[in-house]
This record gives sequence, C-alpha cells and structure tokens, in this order.
Amino acid sequence: MNFRRLKDAFAGRLMLAAAVFSSVLVFIVAIALYLRSEPILEVKSLGELLLGSAWLPSQSIFGFYPFILGTVIVTALAMVFAIPLSILSAVYLAEYANERLKSIVLPLIDLLAGIPPVVFGVFGVLAVVPLVAGIAPLFKDSGIPFLNGGGYATGYSVLAGGIVLAIMVFPIIISISYEVFKAVPFEVREASLSLGATRWQTIKHAVIRTALPGIAAAVILGFSRAIGETMAVLMVVGNVVKIPSSIFDSTYPLTALIANNYGEMMSIPLYDSALLLAALILMLIILFSTLGARLILVRIERRMHG
Amino acid sequence: MSHITIQNLSAFYGDHHALRDITVEIPEKLITAIIGPSGCGKSTLLKCFNRLIDLTDGARVSGKIIVGNMDVLNGGTDVTDVRRRMGLLPQKPNPLPMSIYDNVAYGPRLHGVKEKKKLDEIVEKYLKIGGLWDEVRDRLKSPASKLSIGQQQRLCLARGLAVEPEIILCDEPTSALDPVSSQHIEQQLLKLKNDYTIVIVTHNIHQAMRLADYVIHLYLGELVEHGPANEVLENPKEERTRAYINGTFLADVKADQEINLKGNMCPYNFVYAKQALHALEKGKILKLIVDDPTAVTEVPRGMEAGGHEVVSVRQQNKTDWEIIIRKKS
Amino acid sequence: MDKLSEEKLFKALMIASLAVVVGSLFVVVAVIVWNGAPALSLSMITQTPKGGYYLGKEGGILNAIVGSLYLAFGSLILALMISLPAALSLQKDYIGKTKAAYYIRLSLDVLWGTPSIVYGAFGFIIMLYLGMRASLLGGIIVLTILQLPIMIRSMEEVIKMVPADLKEASYTLGATRFETTALVVVKQALPGIVTGVILSFGRGIGDAASILFTAGYTDSLPRSLFDPVASLPLAIFFQLGTPFPEVQARAYASALVLLIIVLALSIASRALSKRFMKNIIR
Repeated sequence: MNFRRLKDAFAGRLMLAAAVFSSVLVFIVAIALYLRSEPILEVKSLGELLLGSAWLPSQSIFGFYPFILGTVIVTALAMVFAIPLSILSAVYLAEYANERLKSIVLPLIDLLAGIPPVVFGVFGVLAVVPLVAGIAPLFKDSGIPFLNGGGYATGYSVLAGGIVLAIMVFPIIISISYEVFKAVPFEVREASLSLGATRWQTIKHAVIRTALPGIAAAVILGFSRAIGETMAVLMVVGNVVKIPSSIFDSTYPLTALIANNYGEMMSIPLYDSALLLAALILMLIILFSTLGARLILVRIERRMHG
Repeated sequence: MSHITIQNLSAFYGDHHALRDITVEIPEKLITAIIGPSGCGKSTLLKCFNRLIDLTDGARVSGKIIVGNMDVLNGGTDVTDVRRRMGLLPQKPNPLPMSIYDNVAYGPRLHGVKEKKKLDEIVEKYLKIGGLWDEVRDRLKSPASKLSIGQQQRLCLARGLAVEPEIILCDEPTSALDPVSSQHIEQQLLKLKNDYTIVIVTHNIHQAMRLADYVIHLYLGELVEHGPANEVLENPKEERTRAYINGTFLADVKADQEINLKGNMCPYNFVYAKQALHALEKGKILKLIVDDPTAVTEVPRGMEAGGHEVVSVRQQNKTDWEIIIRKKS
Repeated sequence: MDKLSEEKLFKALMIASLAVVVGSLFVVVAVIVWNGAPALSLSMITQTPKGGYYLGKEGGILNAIVGSLYLAFGSLILALMISLPAALSLQKDYIGKTKAAYYIRLSLDVLWGTPSIVYGAFGFIIMLYLGMRASLLGGIIVLTILQLPIMIRSMEEVIKMVPADLKEASYTLGATRFETTALVVVKQALPGIVTGVILSFGRGIGDAASILFTAGYTDSLPRSLFDPVASLPLAIFFQLGTPFPEVQARAYASALVLLIIVLALSIASRALSKRFMKNIIR
C-alpha cells in the first residue's frame, strides 16, 4: 500500500518536471540567443542596426533594414491574400456548409497543413515563380504603385513568396476561425434572425462582430507562422539585398538571411552575433504576437464558460 | 450495530452550505436508504463517505465519519484504502475503457492480485454475484462499452464488489435504467445485504419501501428524521417527512396558482414568490418553477421561516425545479 | 444593392474562396506529382549517392530517406517521453487548474509559434558550446524541441476530453491518481494521442530549417548518433540548388517521396485512431 502511494507521488513529481522543463525551454532559447547577440549590441546601437540599409559583414556593417522590410512586405502580402480567402472559407464552412461537405473539406485542409515547407518551396519554384515571371511584364510601366517595373522579372519575387506563404497559412486561419464561429452562441443568430435579417445580414452584423476577437487571434497566429517561415520563402524570393520597389522585385527576408549565411558566419567577426540577433528579433515578434493571440482566445474561452 | 458513524458533518461548495451538521449512524448489514428531494445533499453525503468529494473544486468538509476503526475524513487516512472498503454504484453506469474482464479485474489488480488463475476466479465469482455471468461468459474480452445500459450497471456492481468492500454505496443506481434492469439491480442488492452494509440514495419512495431497512430523510442539507424504515415511512414523526412522502405519492398537487421564475436570480425569485403568495387566500397552493440552484434551497427555507408549508421540492429536468408551497398565515 | 443579391454575392465569394483553398491543395500535389514522377525510379529510393551524383551521375537518395526516418523516429521517441507526462500533469487532477499551468500553457504556445530557423540557430549555439559537431543526435534534439509544444498541447486537448466519471469510477475502486491516469486516462485518450504523435512526426520529418546546421549532411548512411546525417528536406533543397536539370528533376522526385510519406502518415493517423477506438467509452 505504501509502495503504491510512493509510486503515485514519484510519478506526479516526474510528470510535473516534464511540464516545467518543456515550458522553461522558451526562456532557455531566448536567453541563449540574447547572450550570443550581445556582442554586436555592445558595439552598435540598436537604431543603427535596425535602420541601416547596408549589409557588408566583411566591413562590419550590419544594417537589418532591407531584411526586416523584406520580411514585413512578404508577410503582409501573404496576409492580404490569405485573410479574406480564409475567413470567407471559414464562414462558409461554419455557417452554410452541410455535414457531408465539411467531412470532406476539413480533413483536406488538415492535409494541406501537414505538407512540409520545403515541398511548398519546390511547388513555388515549379509553378508560382514561372507564373509571376509570366504576368510581371503585363504590369510594366502600368503606373500602379508596387506593381511597376516588372519588365525583366525572373519571377523570384515578393509576390511569389506572398502566394506560397498565403497557401501555407490558409489552414491555420481557417481552422481557428472556424472554431471561433462555431463557438458563437446560437442566441446571437436567433436574435438577429427573429428581427427579420437574412442569413448573410445575421452573419455580417451579429456573428462576425461577436467572433471578431477570435478572428483577430486566428490572423495573428497565421501571421506568426508566415513571418517565421524559412525554407519555402527562401526558395522563391530571390534573396537579393535591396529594398524592393514593386512586388515583382526580389527580396531577402530575415529567416532566409539566417539560413543562407550560417555556414560562413564563424569566419567573420560579429557576423554570428548579427545573425543571432536576427533570430532573437524573430523570436520576440513571435512572443508578442502569440501572447496577444492567446490573451484574446483565453478571454473568449472565459466568456463562453462563464 | 452501527457501521458508519457520522458526527457533525458539514459540507460546503464554495458559499453553498450543502450539508448542515449531520449526526447519524448507519447500521451494519442492512440496507439504509437516504431519501429526500433532489438537491437536498443526498449525493454529497455519499461522496463524503468515500471522499470522492475531494475531487470537487471548492468543496470543503468538516466533522467526522468513522467506519469501523477508520477516521475517513482525517487527512492522514489513505484515501485509496477508504475507497477500497466502499464500492460505489453510480447513477449512470460508467464502465472503464477496457474489456468486460479487465473492468472486473481492474480493482483486484490494483490491490496486488497478479496470478491469472486467481483473477479468472475473481472475475467469474463477481460477475455471478452481479448476475451478469451467464450473459457475458463467452465474450469476456469484448469491450464493456458494447453492453446494454442495464448490463453495464450490473458490470459496475460486479466491479465494485471485486475489490471486496464492506460497504456498497449506491447513488440512485436505477435512475438511468429501464424497469426490467432496475428490478434486476434491486434483486441483487437484496441478496447482497446479508454480506454487506448497503447505503442507497434514492428519490423514489417506492424503491426505499421495497429495499430499505433503515431510512434517513435529508431536506435542504439538514437531517430531518432517521429510523427503521417502517417507522419513518409509514408513521413519520416530522411534518416535513410526511409532506415529502405524501408529495411524492401525489403525482401532482393541484396548484391554485403557478408562476414561472426561470431566469431570475436570488433574491428576486423569493420576492416574486412572496408577492404571488400574498395575493392568495390562506390554505391555497402556489407552484413555483425555478432554475437558480440557490433558489432551490433558499426559497423553501425562506417560505418556511415565513410560516408557510413547503409541500414539495422536485427536480423536473436538468435545470428546472418545482417548489410547491401552501399558504399558512 | 438589395439584401438578397448581397447574400448571393457573398455566398458566391465564399464558395470561390473555399474552392481556391481546397484547389491550392490539389494544385500543390498535382505539380509535385507531375514533375516528380518522371524522375522517380527504384534506384532513387534504394541507393545512396554515387560519385558525381550531384553532377547528374548514378545514385539515389536512400541516405536522405534513412536519415530522415532516423531523425523523425529518434525525436519522436524523445518528444513522446517528455510530452506524455507533461500533458498528463496538465490534467485537472494534477496542476491543471493552477496559475502555474496557465503560464506553462502560455509558454508552450510561444514555443509552438517560434520559427524552426530559430530553433536551428539555438541548437547550433548549444552544440558549439558543448563542442559537438553537426550530427544525428544534434538533429534529434532540435527536432524534439520543435515537436514538444505540438505534442503536449494536442495531447492535452484530448486528455481534457476524458469524462470525469471514468476517473471517478477508477478512484472509487481504490486507485491512486497515477494508476487512474496510467490505466484509464491514457487508454481512453489513446486515439487522440496517436493522432497527435503522428501529426508531430509529420512535422518532424518535413522540417528543414531546424536541422540545416544541427544535423549536417552526408552521402553515407549514419553509423552512430554522432555522425552527420542527411535528410529528405535538405536533399530536396541541395539538389534544387544545383545548375543541372537532371539533378533538379531528382529534387522534384525527392519532394514527391517526402509528400507521399507525409500524406500517408496523415491518412494512417485517421485509420489508426479508428482502430484504437475499440474500447473507448462514448
């Protein structure tokens, strides 16, 4: 009898230790990155690093601006494609689709989520890049901001990265916002429908409004997936250090910077520190966006369960 | 001879006072029925016996429960030991996610029986006592979830007995069953009372009459009356016991007025109820429907304090309760 | 616009969006199959690269397939050993309702969102610090960290669904908390646990950025935990980077192999979890 109690207590401790260990990893990763990026922060100001646009590691000039801009612009473009398509899909699945359609489509969306980034990259190289190269000349000298100057485009571009990333975040935004729509209490719909609203009016005015914080959380989580994506983006954006003037230009996001230069970073002073700072910046972006999204989702859950 | 001795037992769920200073003894090798309207604390009392109440968030218990020489509520007492001495037959059968055989063997295995042959014997013996052996002997390895509800409940009985308890606790064990299965369970319990102390919680007076040797009447968390079954059920000393027994006999008291207070919180439902009662003549009957758990205990309490008679408190469905009050003053 | 034509318009938009999303899955699969299938041959998946492979000569990607399986299985086992107890301790019966559990979940969510390239960088720092070189073990450890949050959170979700009265049944028979957890909770949650494990296996086998610097790359099969190891995602990446069309075609074929493995896993997880449903109480 005593042995069983002992085993119970021991197992409990062990399980707790596993949980604590897993959660402490976040801090270990963040601290390790910070310690290794400290050398460069000691000799350069943060403003100089973040806003400088020259990247000449051999001369100890590290300006992250083009890379940060590259990350932001590719991610933003991906979100422009992904948000409306995902949310409209989620609304349809949650509010209109019958069980049969859902039982087919939801597993397919899960499948899409399971495809490895590098496969998306190959897909991008094979299909998206040629497509972009094909349509770019149509916009040559069109005068539309960000669409100009696609005359000699290779297709390895912001646009290709945006399209590939958008496909990769569809499943995330759809599955979370689908759950959020499902969680909207029926009374909300009932109240609106009983006032004579059509189904779409009900969705537009009552359901989406109630679900808005949850949709925001879904978008944030999709965004954090997009901003951290490495391989797929690396393979289709061209990796040229310059500030893109149109979506047909090449660009060079932070993740690609780390991945491409890791091999040689130990040979140049401060280079490793600079790359790890890039990793730290990415991690901090993820930290804040995850915290934001979770706080919203937790609040929704609380509201639902009283 | 008393088997379970309860002294000054109180239980709280957060602010809700679920049991109020209960002191009573439960006799050995007899069937004791705990009766009373739903929500009166019957199940809570049962959960105190085997300390399942420990698992409820925000629950606190004070007082003493003595079983043999064991102080149940004492923190130093091994709770697994307490539970092994008391089998529980739940309201709704809850087979474990394993085969029929493993369900019965689960307890004995925990408590150290390892040999296959011994386990086989135990499983056969208790499935026979549970009255299930003949129906399942050829499919002991099939999942317990495949059995009918009635069979599952008998499996739960066999499983509970297999740990060789002294006491069997039954929490409205037939409320989820069809009449034939209910009868089956009742027969098994009557057979078992020679060897076990049985405590059965029921809101069914007829079941109490069929089974019980001893009756404890709880009302709104208080002990109203207890004693041998024939005395309490046929000739109750307490007005409230009589009202309860009569209330459950009369399927429907004819109410002179009925008001629905669903959706109202305390104390508003009490205020509305008093206003309604005020408009009635003396001796008339008012029927209230409430869905606020606090109202279920507090409205009748307030009405009694105001000198009115609470005829019955009954649960109608998952959320709704019916309170019947006769105006006295 | 009157309200009925607005409804029609938006319904059409929604259906079109859903068609784009689902269509993109089929397009991705079709493009990979179309380009990968012609270059796929038996020798590709049964041979290691011979001399001059990356110039278009003989050989295959067996080193990468085997390497990826080693990495994925190794990290799966390690991650499972930590995740299952961690997820179980987040039950209500243990610390589930405490403030500490809230923070543990929160930090796991941050860990979940952290890009795999950041793990790669972190793993590289740690390996430098320990004086390790890129190896199977390094890759396994980084992939383990990558999979931990996915496994724990998905297992926790299914463990949370285990009905309370099942646990009560076990407790009333005199079981301790651990016995109830190990014998009843795990059993009831098994289908969900299996699904979670397979999904995170898929994530492990497909990730490239985290093992880029930690697992290394080699043309031979790994002989010990401390040897560098090839992997499918990196094989795809490197072959695509060569200027030779024949080698690029092999990259497409490798991508097809990886896609087949991942899709097969996903479908297998559905079938398997149905199998484990046998004893489940609903």
